[in-house]
Amino acid sequence: MYRLWYYLRETVLSIWRNLSLTLAAILTVAVSLALVGASMMIREGAARATAQFQEGVEFIVFMNPDADVEQDAAIRRVLDSSPSIAGYNYIDKAAAYDEFETLFADKPELVESVTPDVMPPSYRIVPTDRSAANVNELANQFAAQPGVREVATATEAIRQIDDFSTRVSQALLIAALVLVGVSALLILNTVFTAIGARKQEIEVMKLVGASNWFIRIPFMLEGTIHGLIGAAMAIPVLFVVDNEVMAFFQESDAVPLFRGFAVPEGFVWDTSIWLLILGGTVGMIGSAVAVTRYLDV
Amino acid sequence: MIRLEGVSKVYKGDVTALREVSVEIQRGEFVFLVGPSGSGKSTFLRLLNREEVADSGQLMVAGKDIGALRSWKVPYLRREIGYVFQDYKLLSRKTVYENVAFGLEVIGRPRSVIRKQVPFILELVGLTPKAERFPDELSGGEQQRVSIARAFVNRPLILLADEPTGNLDPSTSVGIMRLLDRINRSGTTVVMATHDRGIVDTMRRRVIELDRGVVVRDESRGVYE
Repeated sequence: MYRLWYYLRETVLSIWRNLSLTLAAILTVAVSLALVGASMMIREGAARATAQFQEGVEFIVFMNPDADVEQDAAIRRVLDSSPSIAGYNYIDKAAAYDEFETLFADKPELVESVTPDVMPPSYRIVPTDRSAANVNELANQFAAQPGVREVATATEAIRQIDDFSTRVSQALLIAALVLVGVSALLILNTVFTAIGARKQEIEVMKLVGASNWFIRIPFMLEGTIHGLIGAAMAIPVLFVVDNEVMAFFQESDAVPLFRGFAVPEGFVWDTSIWLLILGGTVGMIGSAVAVTRYLDV
Repeated sequence: MIRLEGVSKVYKGDVTALREVSVEIQRGEFVFLVGPSGSGKSTFLRLLNREEVADSGQLMVAGKDIGALRSWKVPYLRREIGYVFQDYKLLSRKTVYENVAFGLEVIGRPRSVIRKQVPFILELVGLTPKAERFPDELSGGEQQRVSIARAFVNRPLILLADEPTGNLDPSTSVGIMRLLDRINRSGTTVVMATHDRGIVDTMRRRVIELDRGVVVRDESRGVYE
């Protein structure tokens, strides 16, 4: 108990004495982990956005919400009669609304802003020939039909989303990894400085027979705390990404598929826990390197 | 208590600090290490608490073979050895009391032991009235008393002192020697490296003289020469 108090006191004192470098280290951890988290969320969002294209669905014909019965029937006749269509699934306004509701269960204000009436009904279509050329040709045919708002092909849409998410998340991840490295170095440096500031004390500790771990622990604790505080600061950023950035795509009409760009409830929290683990680990590794290289115990 | 057999130590650049030194020191002895600067006195002491490692020979301290000691066990060896320096090595941000308590704190002694032991030792070295002072408010002799108190507070078997009176005037030195003598009489083995002729000649204890790393004299009731 007394020992625990000793470690805490020494750690807090050391952080306080070395505040500017400590802040730099913590902020770098925060920025890098925010990027790691954002990258994880974009990846997950993309995976879910493309989920509607499962079970062989290669393209989706979105009808205008105000398309009339005749226009709708015309599409259906083509689908039923064409030999190049293996099957299809009709999502009517109510079903589209239901899906929307489930997808955005955590955003009631968004759900309230729409009614089943404005939802575009759609046909999710499984072609017999799934080659990109054929799918594109079919898509073009349907796009030309009256009452069709737009056609999203899996090849195109998935490529778009994949492209978008892979590029963005990879770019973020690379930036994040570089910054994680930088944070580890900064933590190493901070702990190194802390060791320097307590050189005299450490000398006396060694002299009177303090065990190696007794000398090391406050410094390792210090680095780990930097990492944890940095991670804690990155967590609010995840919520901002979820509520602002991803919501922006969800509400945008530009690419209908991006409306599915969301992460499930709880994912942000799961990611937060990973960030804490990552932050703590980076801090511990940074300080462990400093301790083994400079403490000489 | 301390046994060296053919111990040699060579520093980088072929500087021989000790050459084939064989010495045995019994429990409770008081030993002066004398010799000119660079004769190997400090190296002798630093080998005993394993701040340095011998290049050859065997070294037993407090029943432990120092050469074979694993590095994680070194702190436990040092708990048996108090160390006093010419420059005191006190922590300037801590009070006298805290400096002495530090010696117990960092080896994980419980607070109850610290509360009992520290005032007792401060009484022994005569610094009870100055317990709340900081080192730079004390005279050199008082600072050395604090340093001795810190070295002795854990009741080590051995006390090593490297020129403990080197920075002190003769009358203050006498006080320090009385203190070391008292500690020695309580059963602690004391090994002290010194240049102080007056002290050695007055105390008439065992004298080991080193010259260029070799033991040239070992007398049981010697003088400085």
